[in-house]
Amino acid sequence: MDRIWHSVAFRLALLCGGLVVASVLVLSSVFYFVSLGLLARNIDGKIMSITEKFSEDAEANGLFILAQRIESTLSDGVDSDVEILLLTNALGQKLAGNISGWTETSTPFDQTIDRVVKRGERLLPSRIRLHKMTDGALLVVGRDMQDLSEIRSLIARAVVIGGVSAILLAILATLVFRWQLEQRIWAIRHTTQEIEAGNLDRRIVLAGIPDEFDRLSADINRMLDRIQHLMEGVRHVSNTIAHNLRTPLGLIRGHLEEALRGVPEQRKLEEAGHFAISAIDDLIVVLEKLLQIAEAESGARRQPFESVLLRTVVTDLLELYDAAAEALGVTLTVDIEGEPTLPGDKDLIAGILANLIDNALKYAGSPANVTIQVRETAQAVSIIVQDNGPGIAVHERAKVLQRFYRLNSDRPGSGLGLSIVSAFTQLHDGTLFIEDAQPGLKVRIELPKPLAQAL
Amino acid sequence: MPFPRLLLIEDEQDMARYLIKGLEEAGYSVTHAEQVEQALNLALTQQWDLMIVDRMLPNEQDGLEIIKTVRGAAVQTPVLVLSALASLDDRVRGLREGGDDYLTKPFALPELLARLEALIRRANPAQNTLNNSQLKLADLTLDLLSRKVERAGQPIILQPREFKLLEYLVRNQGQVVTRTMLLESVWDFHFDPGTNVIDVQISRLRNKIDKGHSTPLVHTVRGIGYRFGLDG
Repeated sequence: MDRIWHSVAFRLALLCGGLVVASVLVLSSVFYFVSLGLLARNIDGKIMSITEKFSEDAEANGLFILAQRIESTLSDGVDSDVEILLLTNALGQKLAGNISGWTETSTPFDQTIDRVVKRGERLLPSRIRLHKMTDGALLVVGRDMQDLSEIRSLIARAVVIGGVSAILLAILATLVFRWQLEQRIWAIRHTTQEIEAGNLDRRIVLAGIPDEFDRLSADINRMLDRIQHLMEGVRHVSNTIAHNLRTPLGLIRGHLEEALRGVPEQRKLEEAGHFAISAIDDLIVVLEKLLQIAEAESGARRQPFESVLLRTVVTDLLELYDAAAEALGVTLTVDIEGEPTLPGDKDLIAGILANLIDNALKYAGSPANVTIQVRETAQAVSIIVQDNGPGIAVHERAKVLQRFYRLNSDRPGSGLGLSIVSAFTQLHDGTLFIEDAQPGLKVRIELPKPLAQAL
Repeated sequence: MPFPRLLLIEDEQDMARYLIKGLEEAGYSVTHAEQVEQALNLALTQQWDLMIVDRMLPNEQDGLEIIKTVRGAAVQTPVLVLSALASLDDRVRGLREGGDDYLTKPFALPELLARLEALIRRANPAQNTLNNSQLKLADLTLDLLSRKVERAGQPIILQPREFKLLEYLVRNQGQVVTRTMLLESVWDFHFDPGTNVIDVQISRLRNKIDKGHSTPLVHTVRGIGYRFGLDG
């Protein structure tokens, strides 16, 4: 019972059914009282108008004429079976009518009321009205209500039957509604349970009706596609990482093994030790970079974004890389218009620029020109690092963003630089473009600015 | 300061053994604590020149809690946080909650030793300041106000960042400073800059300071970093 009560389908259906039953009941009772009331008012009106007409007649033409008129009314065949009429003189003697006489005295005059009247041998529930004329004669006008109470019970029966069948129909509708709802939900639950059990490629089968459930199912399916895509990405990344760590680990192991083979020599052991330490240091750097990428890609900001002055960041970096550029014969040029600011993380933006400058110094060749350009519009800040080196071929441009992908494996490097740039850019909701500087490489980063008041 | 007293809070046996050996060889008198309670007791009841605090301690306790308690008791001993928690966020937290330096595991022992020396030096300011505005080493003079540098009476033209680099080296004269320390202190960057940018910076500075002088002041310490001073 508790389980049924906790079913949304059941509660919804119950509510709808209850509303249907209630409205049927309201409708029936309104019909019942209005129709019967209308009939009763009609009858009362008729009784009153006949009473008035007859009494005026008697005052004007005398009791005799009225008596004749009553007799003819009773015999005209119109409503004769339900009409009740009686005329007595002042002494109570019956002059005309279809009831034997009027003996009781408690009935008030000139009011239409319910009374049981005896006609012949039958007792009839009736509406009657008594009128005493100026000469003492008594006029009784009435209507037999037997037929009306039959109508009343007929209507009441119809209302009860209608109400009961409405309740039954509502219960049936509740069950059907609940069954249908559970059918649709079962399809979704069945799929989610299968996915929980490990079959991530399962999808909810759509019913083909573009209703709420199909729309929800389509949304869930899309979400599952996305999750599956991400999971495949993660698996790919893990594979790549494992592979890229194995190679240097193998190298370290080989060097150590070689140094220990045969009679150990002090010089060989020292060399192997130094090699192992520097290779392990490189691995530590790689792991730290992977950690940074993962941190940025998780989307969690390590600290709230602050207003970053790009001129300061670029100047700091220029003062770090200027000596290296000088030594390599590379001219570093900075071109900043205005005072571009951006809500962001200073360290991460510096990381973006550092990696781009480092790449340019490594791959642009010597001599070369490297330009760092910053432009600000109302909507965005764009950072462009451009060189006049060999550039990146069109078909390689997407690949260089992948972890460990390297264009030239002869040069030192981890293959993570542009992955870091890409991850840090995404954390700032920015977009990374790799373009042709004709000649050379142009990396353009568009970082959107929120509306002025948001900062 | 002969045999500086160092309190090492580290629960991992192998790491502690390795650290104690390295630190004692470097001339520290090391006391080792494994448990938080024992560590707090030692930190609050005795005088220390330095503390090394590991972050992940037994029973999921964070070494930062020890630092907070110690700082709460107004103990100003320099603290180096040693941790496998390597993200920038962890680092920022470690420094904000009272640590004076943060080194991530795995680390190179020379890096740790250089940072400890710098911490001791910072806690006991150098005597090489002639007055508040001048630094001096042998025939090299730095004027901190006018930002002018002279060696043997001859002016040397330095860019602003080169001046800052030289100032840091002079303030830490006689000690080994690592590339990471320079990157953090002089440029305030906390990432791996890729190419050997620091080496190139030092070699440019060396050209300006030492060229034409018989006694070099900038010395390379192989595999570790640099030392600034009269003797190599």
